[in-house]
Amino acid sequence: MARGIRDSVAILGMGCSKFGERWHDGPEDLLVEAFRECLEDAGIGRDRIDAAWLATAIEEVSVGKSGIPLAEALRLPYIPVTRVENFCASGTESFRGAVYAVASGAADIALAAGVEKLKDTGYGGLPQRSRGALNDMVWANFSAPGSFAQLAAAYRTKHSVLPEDLKRAMAQVSVKSHANGAKNPKAHLRNEISIDKAVNAPMVADPLGLFDCCGVSDGAACAIVCRPEIARELGRENPITVKALQVSVSNGSEAGHNSWDGSHFVTARIASRRAYEEAGVRDPRAEVDMVEAHDCFSITELVTMEDLGLSREGEGWRDVLDGVYDAEGDTPCQIDGGLKCFGHPIGASGLRMLYEVYLQLEGRAGERQLDTPRLGLTHNLGGAPHRNVCSVAIVGREGG
Amino acid sequence: MSKAARETWGDPTTAAFWEAAREHRLVLQRCADCGHWQFYPRPFCLECGSSALSWKEASGRGRVYSSSETHMAPSPDIETPYVVAVVELDEGPKLMTNIVNGRCRIGDRVRVRWREREEGPPIPDFEPDPEG
Ligand SMILES: [Zn+2]
Repeated sequence: MARGIRDSVAILGMGCSKFGERWHDGPEDLLVEAFRECLEDAGIGRDRIDAAWLATAIEEVSVGKSGIPLAEALRLPYIPVTRVENFCASGTESFRGAVYAVASGAADIALAAGVEKLKDTGYGGLPQRSRGALNDMVWANFSAPGSFAQLAAAYRTKHSVLPEDLKRAMAQVSVKSHANGAKNPKAHLRNEISIDKAVNAPMVADPLGLFDCCGVSDGAACAIVCRPEIARELGRENPITVKALQVSVSNGSEAGHNSWDGSHFVTARIASRRAYEEAGVRDPRAEVDMVEAHDCFSITELVTMEDLGLSREGEGWRDVLDGVYDAEGDTPCQIDGGLKCFGHPIGASGLRMLYEVYLQLEGRAGERQLDTPRLGLTHNLGGAPHRNVCSVAIVGREGG
Repeated sequence: MSKAARETWGDPTTAAFWEAAREHRLVLQRCADCGHWQFYPRPFCLECGSSALSWKEASGRGRVYSSSETHMAPSPDIETPYVVAVVELDEGPKLMTNIVNGRCRIGDRVRVRWREREEGPPIPDFEPDPEG
């Protein structure tokens, strides 16, 4: 494996807009809101930014194509700006562009931004993507919940879990995120729910009910990254650095269902193992203090805990019910409310996850602050279980 | 017959599938070198990389591998509820499909049933197999 980028890049500042139904704001407003916070946090002027990346997934209703909308919204100083898109993992892709630019030495300071005005699509979920002769063959009118529901079916069959036990564990995933989101002033949904309410909610795609699905939100988030020396010059004695950043993309094997049993994510297993190697993490359950996972659906989060090596295969549902991933548990997951409650403006989501890890490591997470976390992991997924992009980032203190 | 049903459908890799679909035959690719069956169609064998693939008619029978009843469709023109399932064909490959004409549990036997449509060749759905 390549040498990797461990400790080569520091996070100098981050910002995140309020997520939610932002009918009165355009994507530019959201980007400016996140960027102001980010720039103030970084303590630099925008003229010091050498290059920038913009993530947005559904450009038709969001900001438009190219890097120009970001350069215009933030009045960037005629620097390179690149738009990236990688399904729902676009936000981490933007971060990867900025981080790799700094790691390579091509930029001293770089900006990663992501935004989505998803409510403007008018859809309850995500808009349908274009189809064709191949998609006609494999699409079967599956909705996003419908394709992730297959995970639940395959998982409980493989591990002989009773449907009512899995349903209850899935409910606990969302109950926990709602409890966390209620404490987050920037979160879209800030109401607590009970297990019974989640279990008895209207069905969307069996066994996924209303509370097993994340909502649709507007929002933006961004990060300014730099070489660790620059962070130290700017007064960060022990800067927060990127320990690992890995992406794995499905190559068609899962879509053909040949060797894949449908109960887990092939990409998440590969990306997380590579990330642990890059970061020097030997025992993730002991070393990773907090996780922001891509909880587009409750079952996704549950299965992902196993794919990341945090729960043993087939035991994730028990760990969830035992509270391992609750705010007071061994490895708090979605302490900011996650996609489920903070919200899921696609282009911003990966950066929103990193924002929470950053705040927690800095000890600036307010009412939801964890007890001195040292290492945080983000897992950002785009696509469906059988065909997806999976990014895993690990962030911690330099040398830690 | 609608215009779409007469036109060549798909690209060089998928056209043969749709030609057979018009005759209600479910065809899969089989590798002449290693015997591997595969679906969906690709220009090479997933097992050995060979491009010596031919089209073979499948039995159209299999079993439900996983399934989920959808209550909220991705588009308002799709009637709900409907069942999205992964079916494991007797020849080995699995495909994503809809279960029609009855309820199925995971493991139940199913057989292909073609759904005619205006905008293109018929699509393979699956239904409970009375012969088991
Ligand atoms: Zn072969």
